[in-house]
Amino acid sequence: MEETKLTSKQFLNELTAKHYDGALQAKAEGKPVAWAVSISPQELFETLDMHVVYPENHAAAIGARKEAMKFIDHAEGIGYSADICSYARINMAYTDIPHAEAQDIPLPDVVLCSANICTTVMKWWENLAKKLRVPLVFIDTPFNHTYEVPDHAVEYLRGQFESAIKQLEDFSGKRFDFDKLGEVMKLSNATCQWWKAATDLAQFTPSPLNGFDMFNYMAIMVCMRGNADGHKLFKLWYEELLAKKEAGLGPWSSAEEKYRIMWDGIACWPHLSTTFKTLKKYGINMVTSTYPESWNVRYETNDLTGMARAYTVNYANRNLDFGTDYLKKLVDQFNLDGVLYHSNRSCKLMDFRQYEVRRRVEAMTGIPTTMFDGDQTDPRSFSEAQYETRVQGLVEMMDKRKAAGR
Amino acid sequence: MFLGIDIGSSSSKVALMNDKKELVATAVVNKGTGTDGVHSALEQAFLKAGITKEDVQFSVVTGYGRVTYKDADKQITELTCHAKGVAYLIPGARTIVDIGGQDAKVIKLNEKGEMINFGMNEKCAAGTGRFLEVMARVLGCGLGDLSDLAQKSDKTVSISSVCTVFAESEVISQLATGETPANVARGAHVSVSKRVAGMCNRVGVEPTVVMTGGVALNADMVRCLSNELSSPVTAAPNCQAVGAIGASVAAYETFMARREQ
Amino acid sequence: MSDYKELIAELVAAAETPAKTIKKSMEDTGKKAIGCFPLHIPEEIIYACNYLPVGMWGGKTDLKLCDTYMQSFCCTIMRANLEYGMKGTYNFLSGIVMNAMCDTLKCVCEDWKIAVPQVPIIPVVYAQQRKSEEGIEYMKAEFKRVRHALEKLEGRMVMDRDVENAYEMYEDYRAAMRDFDATCVNYPITMDAYTRHLVIKAGFFMDKAVYKEKIKAITAGLKAQAPEKFDGIRVIATGLLSEPNEVLNIFKENNIAIVGDDLAQESRLWRTPGRDIKGSVWEKMALRMADQRGDCFLYEPDKQRGEMMIEMCKARSAKAVVVFMMKFCDPEEFDYPIYKKELDDAGVPHLYLEVDQMIDSFEQIRTRIQAFAEQF
Repeated sequence: MEETKLTSKQFLNELTAKHYDGALQAKAEGKPVAWAVSISPQELFETLDMHVVYPENHAAAIGARKEAMKFIDHAEGIGYSADICSYARINMAYTDIPHAEAQDIPLPDVVLCSANICTTVMKWWENLAKKLRVPLVFIDTPFNHTYEVPDHAVEYLRGQFESAIKQLEDFSGKRFDFDKLGEVMKLSNATCQWWKAATDLAQFTPSPLNGFDMFNYMAIMVCMRGNADGHKLFKLWYEELLAKKEAGLGPWSSAEEKYRIMWDGIACWPHLSTTFKTLKKYGINMVTSTYPESWNVRYETNDLTGMARAYTVNYANRNLDFGTDYLKKLVDQFNLDGVLYHSNRSCKLMDFRQYEVRRRVEAMTGIPTTMFDGDQTDPRSFSEAQYETRVQGLVEMMDKRKAAGR
Repeated sequence: MFLGIDIGSSSSKVALMNDKKELVATAVVNKGTGTDGVHSALEQAFLKAGITKEDVQFSVVTGYGRVTYKDADKQITELTCHAKGVAYLIPGARTIVDIGGQDAKVIKLNEKGEMINFGMNEKCAAGTGRFLEVMARVLGCGLGDLSDLAQKSDKTVSISSVCTVFAESEVISQLATGETPANVARGAHVSVSKRVAGMCNRVGVEPTVVMTGGVALNADMVRCLSNELSSPVTAAPNCQAVGAIGASVAAYETFMARREQ
Repeated sequence: MSDYKELIAELVAAAETPAKTIKKSMEDTGKKAIGCFPLHIPEEIIYACNYLPVGMWGGKTDLKLCDTYMQSFCCTIMRANLEYGMKGTYNFLSGIVMNAMCDTLKCVCEDWKIAVPQVPIIPVVYAQQRKSEEGIEYMKAEFKRVRHALEKLEGRMVMDRDVENAYEMYEDYRAAMRDFDATCVNYPITMDAYTRHLVIKAGFFMDKAVYKEKIKAITAGLKAQAPEKFDGIRVIATGLLSEPNEVLNIFKENNIAIVGDDLAQESRLWRTPGRDIKGSVWEKMALRMADQRGDCFLYEPDKQRGEMMIEMCKARSAKAVVVFMMKFCDPEEFDYPIYKKELDDAGVPHLYLEVDQMIDSFEQIRTRIQAFAEQF
């Protein structure tokens, strides 16, 4: 098959296979493998040509494959509370039972943690380091309770990047090539730009993008935004979506986009198809979430301080005023009819601000919103009946608003 | 004569043991703490044994009602009593699973039949008898009918919710989409078994596994638990009275130890 | 010498009635009060700004208002603090200081600004890279930022010298607490689980300069007595805090004494002394945090907590560890499987109690504690 005929979807699958096969192969050859948190400064790992696997991606795949309970039961058996993050429970269990139908991954020789998505990952990665007796490279990103990031926090991060480079040099026995870092930084920025441009095409009505696809492409944004493959994928995806948009096509061939909503929070992986089909049944397209921006990690090439700042301004690490403004912007830019909030049992950092954000966004924009109970990978915390009722309620409110001509 | 009394949340149990450590009589009354259930059970047991209250040399009370019951010589927990009761009835047992109305327990015994570790469910009702009661209600059958019903199943309906309220709506929608009550009943048993198995894993399971409490009368439940644990599970004889029997053993042992001193 | 017994009774009573004790402390010292949320708070700075730092560790109350801001699967200390704030219970405070050390605290920090606007909040974010140069520089800057915020609140300048003096006083207080804690090991009857906890807790509602002298007098009083013969079970407590108090009374009923702790509300706050160095007070404060070990809220890749507890059991002849697991506390829940395995491997039994501050019925907990005691 000629490369030009490859669709982005096919390429996505190829890259996923390549990513995991590469890591398994490396391990088999005795090369070190790392595990890292999703929004990590991958630029540093990429510069050193490290094989990095992302447990959050892996846990999500296990959840989507409906085999989470095998791992969750084991984790709870060894003392993990059912109340902590289900990704963590699955991943900690995987270190004991290292086989999943969804995908096998090699156990790590070093673990890398960046806490900009939550403090939970700090605890989770500590446990990995202690249990597997491997070194931990940790980047602490202080919570930004002020609207803007304080300078001393940026300085602190920059210092940690330098310490992490030293730690990675010691671990790999390689000298860190700053020229190469510059190249990786450039490529990473370019990939992020395509990712952002692609997801921004959903601003058009109808949106050429089905938001649930975004959940799938995101996995590659996590693990390949600093290399040529990732860059190529997101450019291709953009071009496809652009062509779709130019042709006036909506998200699905079998149904029309009637409502445009935002999904707040992580997907419900074990119930992905239920959550998707229920929305589609009512003509609801999830056109955006907070994720497009989360992986739009942008800075000036060769500016390590700028890169430090870029890694601490993630939505989850910023204050409520910022979060509210950001959501309001999404409502306007994406011409949203409603917001669906996922009260995710796994993610306390998202949950305990969600009520207030929801009230404020409703007040600022006037669009209806609803919330449902679920979990990113624990199938037990979701009720299909509750979900459908809430979605239906949202539709009724959106209809009322449309009828009122707003 | 040595008396053991177990006052639970929904039933009262009594056991009598003679000075040769032989079980003489047991009685179970389905009225728990705060009722006259314990008096009825005592009357029944005394009648069966042909003795009066005055013949009791030492008595031990256990169960949730143990703290408020004042007429016994000593009170100890139902965990220790279940351990003693099972060790008496089934020597060599190493793991006990007791599923009661409000809580479920797993008790680990050493080779001498002494309790060395235990686990109990958290506040949530999943994995307890209460969960089965809710399921029986949704299925429109009695709690005692669940076992027969489940044994007619041809597959297991998955009930994934941990929350009893969610599970209830899950089951209702499954029945609405045509699942048979038999398959749902089996699903409920598997669901409770999974929760209990999780608790067992935290404590560590060793054979022989013995099940006590009223839920042990549910043969299908015993089989489901056995599957989840990948280990044979034996239902204790006189399963509802095991705590009371253990209390009578404790009464016997305490009395003998004191006499020796 | 019965003085020390009176002092014990005085502190127990003080801890049983926090509102009254705080009011009295404010009147006696003429100071305004600043509330300190759980975990490490730079109290020295608050004290140097002439405020009375008081502890805010939740409490039993009907939870209604806080549900406006958070789901029910949130730790009850945080829910209770927000509830009290929204009810106006904390209106007497000039402000609060909160350390965003876990995901829940980060959210509560944001929610507080909106839910309790009448009580200003000064958030503080400690570095988790506590030992590195950049971490220490950050901490120094963060401490100074807190001073600045307090200066603005109080409307007066606070010199480094003032903070240095407050730090010295706090070092003396922490040393007094360590001595008290080590002494209690020999007096498990006088300092039973309930009494020990309340004597320690009283410090959250008093001026530390006053409180530490009382603690020193109690320690001296105890030391003058012969060590107590105790036939019960000695245990070590771990977790966030050993409440509700009813649970401690059940320990007492079952002849179980807490002879040492690894609790966030107790020794984690004072077990680490400052270094004897020349540097600035800011550096000393940062280094004292750098030297903390085995605290689940502070980054520690080699997780020494289990080892430390096993050591403490040996050193204090404790037979077991009691885990007070605050329901929904992620950092505590993440540590448990790790130290559970270490305790199991070392043959140290532990009792796991899942607790929250709103417990009404203690029957199941009573059964667990009693059954645990029956094992020995």
